[in-house]
Amino acid sequence: MSAELASGDAGYEVLEGEPPEVLARNLVTAGYLLAGATAFFFVAFVFAFFYLRSIDSVSQWKPHGVDASIGWGTAIIACWVVSTVLVRLGELDQAADRRPQWRLKGLAALLLGLAGLVLQVVAWTQNGFGPTDGAFASVYVGWTAFLSLFVLLTLFWLETTLATSWRYRNELFGAAEVPAGHASGDPDRTAHDIRNPVDLNRAELAALGFYWTFLAGVAVVAWVILYLVA
Amino acid sequence: MAAARRLIGFNLLTAIVLGIGGWYAGWFGAHAITGPSLDWFSAADYNEVSVFMAYIGGVIGFLAGLGFLNYPFARLRGYPPSLREKETGGWSRYFSLCTDHKVVGIQYLWGIGLFFFIGGLNAMLIRTELLRPAHQVFPAGTYLTIVGMHGTMMMGMMSSGILGPFANYFVPILIGARRMAFPRIEALTFWLLMAAGGILTTTIFFGGFPTGWTGYPPLESQANAGMDCYILFFALVGISMTLLGLNMIATILTMRAPGLTWTRLPIFVWGVISTASLMVLAAPVLIATLGMAAFDRAINTTFFVAGGGGSNYLYQNLFWVFGHPEVYILALPGFAIVLELLPVFSRKPLWGYRLAVAGLLGVTLLSWMVWQHHLFVSGINGDLRPFYMLSTELISIPTGFTFICGMMTIWRGQIRFTVPMLFCLAWFFNFLLGGLSGVFLSDVPSDVTTHGSFFSMAHFHYTIMGGLIFTFFAAVYYWVPKMTGWQLNERLGKIHFWTMFVFFNSTFAPLFALGFMGMPRRVVTYDPSFQFLNDWVSVSAFLLGISMLVFLFNLVWSLAFKKVPAEANPWGSRSIEFQLPSPVPVHNFDRIPVFTDDPYGYGEGPAPQWVVPAGAPAGRE
Amino acid sequence: MAAEPMAARPSDGVSHGRRVITAWLVVSAIATPLVVVLVGPLLPPGNASTQASQQVIDNTVITGIVTPVVCLIFVFFVYALLNFRAPKGGALVDGPPLRNHAGIQIAWMVITSVTVLFLAGFGTYELLQNGAGGGQGPSPVAVPGGKKIAVQVIAQQWEFTYRYPGFGGFESHELVLPEDTYVVLHVTSLDVVHSFWAYELGVKADANPRVDNVAFVRTKAPGMFQVRCAELCGLWHGYMYNNGHVVSADQFHAWVKSQQALYKPIAKYLPGFRREYLPAPVRRGG
Repeated sequence: MSAELASGDAGYEVLEGEPPEVLARNLVTAGYLLAGATAFFFVAFVFAFFYLRSIDSVSQWKPHGVDASIGWGTAIIACWVVSTVLVRLGELDQAADRRPQWRLKGLAALLLGLAGLVLQVVAWTQNGFGPTDGAFASVYVGWTAFLSLFVLLTLFWLETTLATSWRYRNELFGAAEVPAGHASGDPDRTAHDIRNPVDLNRAELAALGFYWTFLAGVAVVAWVILYLVA
Repeated sequence: MAAARRLIGFNLLTAIVLGIGGWYAGWFGAHAITGPSLDWFSAADYNEVSVFMAYIGGVIGFLAGLGFLNYPFARLRGYPPSLREKETGGWSRYFSLCTDHKVVGIQYLWGIGLFFFIGGLNAMLIRTELLRPAHQVFPAGTYLTIVGMHGTMMMGMMSSGILGPFANYFVPILIGARRMAFPRIEALTFWLLMAAGGILTTTIFFGGFPTGWTGYPPLESQANAGMDCYILFFALVGISMTLLGLNMIATILTMRAPGLTWTRLPIFVWGVISTASLMVLAAPVLIATLGMAAFDRAINTTFFVAGGGGSNYLYQNLFWVFGHPEVYILALPGFAIVLELLPVFSRKPLWGYRLAVAGLLGVTLLSWMVWQHHLFVSGINGDLRPFYMLSTELISIPTGFTFICGMMTIWRGQIRFTVPMLFCLAWFFNFLLGGLSGVFLSDVPSDVTTHGSFFSMAHFHYTIMGGLIFTFFAAVYYWVPKMTGWQLNERLGKIHFWTMFVFFNSTFAPLFALGFMGMPRRVVTYDPSFQFLNDWVSVSAFLLGISMLVFLFNLVWSLAFKKVPAEANPWGSRSIEFQLPSPVPVHNFDRIPVFTDDPYGYGEGPAPQWVVPAGAPAGRE
Repeated sequence: MAAEPMAARPSDGVSHGRRVITAWLVVSAIATPLVVVLVGPLLPPGNASTQASQQVIDNTVITGIVTPVVCLIFVFFVYALLNFRAPKGGALVDGPPLRNHAGIQIAWMVITSVTVLFLAGFGTYELLQNGAGGGQGPSPVAVPGGKKIAVQVIAQQWEFTYRYPGFGGFESHELVLPEDTYVVLHVTSLDVVHSFWAYELGVKADANPRVDNVAFVRTKAPGMFQVRCAELCGLWHGYMYNNGHVVSADQFHAWVKSQQALYKPIAKYLPGFRREYLPAPVRRGG
């Protein structure tokens, strides 16, 4: 046993700090993995769509009058796509140390995302069919409901990066230092945790930007399938 | 004051109180919309919306009580991320949100153990009912609930049976890291699993569910509110599995210590990668499928209702797209444990490292292409059956890699018959029978008779119980001394092994014969001519249960009463976790180690030292 | 016990590999014919139909192929565990650091691949002959030629009934089939998923609502067979079984006449014969 590996009684304070790029890499990797999981989640709905459409059991795939309004659908998807573009542009601002501009774009992206959700809720009431009206209605309701849930959670993530950026708006880029226990109030949390929320903000934005773009891609696929193919 | 704060702070007690509060908030909240009810609880007064909302509220309350919502709210207000919560301190860490991966590992070990025990108890009840051909002990509905709970509990909980306790505890150590990539998500996976287990257990208050672990509609649409517990249980397990797998892959990809190249990775870590990749991709399919099922039940969509344009084949396909990777989520960690332990107890390097890795990855890949072998006689369009027959049988090739690598590892070795080694050797016997019986099920003409019979039941108990549970115990005897710092009694361990091995085979081998003779699965009555074999199986199953009690006794006796301190390296292993003190200190390493070799260099000279000379920079690659 | 460098045990000069392979070949050469001859006839589901006999052949072939595999693993482990034990007590000694052997890897891959491909090919051949008694869905791939009589199996919670569309479409609680005849079974369900399993005939086909699941079976000599439900279908799944009969042509026609007479009064209330029936949608409150 090599006693040099661990003495068994040392506290956190004797340890070397963790390089910040570790967390950044973690976040970006998690963004990719989350995208993979999301893809497989919605593949189930794509499969359901084409499977049920092909069998058209008792002609109940799409009874007369069940059609999702493409106007509402386009408006919703447009909100989300523009929102991802804004996040991506904000990412460039942040990288170029134009943080106020990033916050502005981020806020607009957040509001657009929420507007898309509100439009989705309105669309459910305006489509003229409910979940019980055949297989297409089922797929439509299920797919849009879960997509909205994913979007809502992603917007939560966007809000946290915005809020962090706002809270540390007076710090120079790369210079903010957070005292121990600052965030959670946990006395066990020690100094070598996350020291620089601004650095991290950039990493988080990279992961979020990727995931939000991906999710908007899922939304575009949903739009093509639910409004054009159907 | 401190004690009072500990009690009303964020811990399991608060979680349970808030969980119940959240349950009623959801229950009354939903009733406020769907039609008022003032009943605290009435089975006659439920509707699906209220049941779903009640349980979702309960889960949120449970997580809030543990303190999982504090962090999101802090982030919402712009506070920066923190990685640690409650890592030091005493026993109370084990009953609250703790982000130390070693605490989570031990939480998993006991939490999963608890539900494994409940699932096992259900098996005992099943075998009690089957002592006689006519149905006698339980009402038919109760019997089906017991069957369903046994299957669901085991499949859901034991999916994390090795990754939960052992990968959470040892993967960071094996790759030379101090933590998992996402420690709070790691804790979340555990507590979600506990919430799920609680939900499944409460299905008995709602009349249980009749569908078994597969939950096929239309029977599922027909069932009463207990079915909702099944749906929520499996959805939560799915979320927990997705996050667990995501966390594992992210950790292994990004947090390896300097020098730990892909060919130096312990084979156990490769097994974890394979399993985790299946978890990340397969579990979301399950969640989506159960989402559809929940919509079918709660808001009357018609995904699986033939009369409304749906199809129950849609469910069967989607379920098995998840379901077949799922059985490899159960089996692959077993392969990895066997290959990890054999070099230690044969004192030889792992033979054919790359072949072993190829085997694990090959199984992972092929497991996506075989799901319709569960639908060979289902009446779905049959054109693709030859393809699925081929792909299913192809899986025996990468599985064979694991066999040849294991066999050549013990070849000409210095074999020590320790308890973990015995469990690993038993894996070869069990998985051989389990795998070869799978050949009958993969072959369509043979499957026509064996499908849905006790034969297939025996097959998957041989592969899952014989493959997963045996290696789970191998891992317990191998690693628990390292995790707790106390030795497990070896004599009791050997008694446990031999009773378990003998009675496991005596329980499940006759089931092959019963299946061949024509006994269908999940029946409460059977042909009187099957009684002798069924009685034999039941008695063996009870003895198998007793052998589990031997294990439980060993665990309690060794860890709570006898308390013999464990050596740091009781097995003479060259793996890095055994170079650390037992139990492993809270921060794992004083300095991040530097890897120069894989851990299997037995007979190849001195063990690597891992430590950079003092003064040298301790940076990463 | 530290993992200090240990001297590898010197080679004892015995060719263990040759011994194991020789033992395996000998054991397999004895065991395989014995298993095929002794166990083969015991394998299910028997000889009551062409499909059942065919499944017995299939099962026998698989058993015959897996026997040498089992022999290999058993011989290997018996030999290895007896010969390569570490001596009790004393310091740890390392084994020889064998890390790889290309020949063994290639041989193993080739042998397993050939075995697997043979099994898949053989299974496909057997399947495509006449469907092997399994349910093939509404548009079967493996359709045996010749004249057949059609019988519809209607499953519901918790019994099977049988309709004979070629004989006026009466619906009986008994399944009676003429000997030496090709039968097309159209399996469907009125509620949940069931599975029609005529064990001795080697037939299994899931019964799904709104699905016509077709299975072919050619009966042989007169006799009795058991029908069970093989898919969990709710409360009384365990009670969903009865017996069917294969009878001579004369007896069959007599039975058909008696059934036609018996069910005549209710015949007009039966829905017309269809490949599938629309069950009442299973809906619950919410």
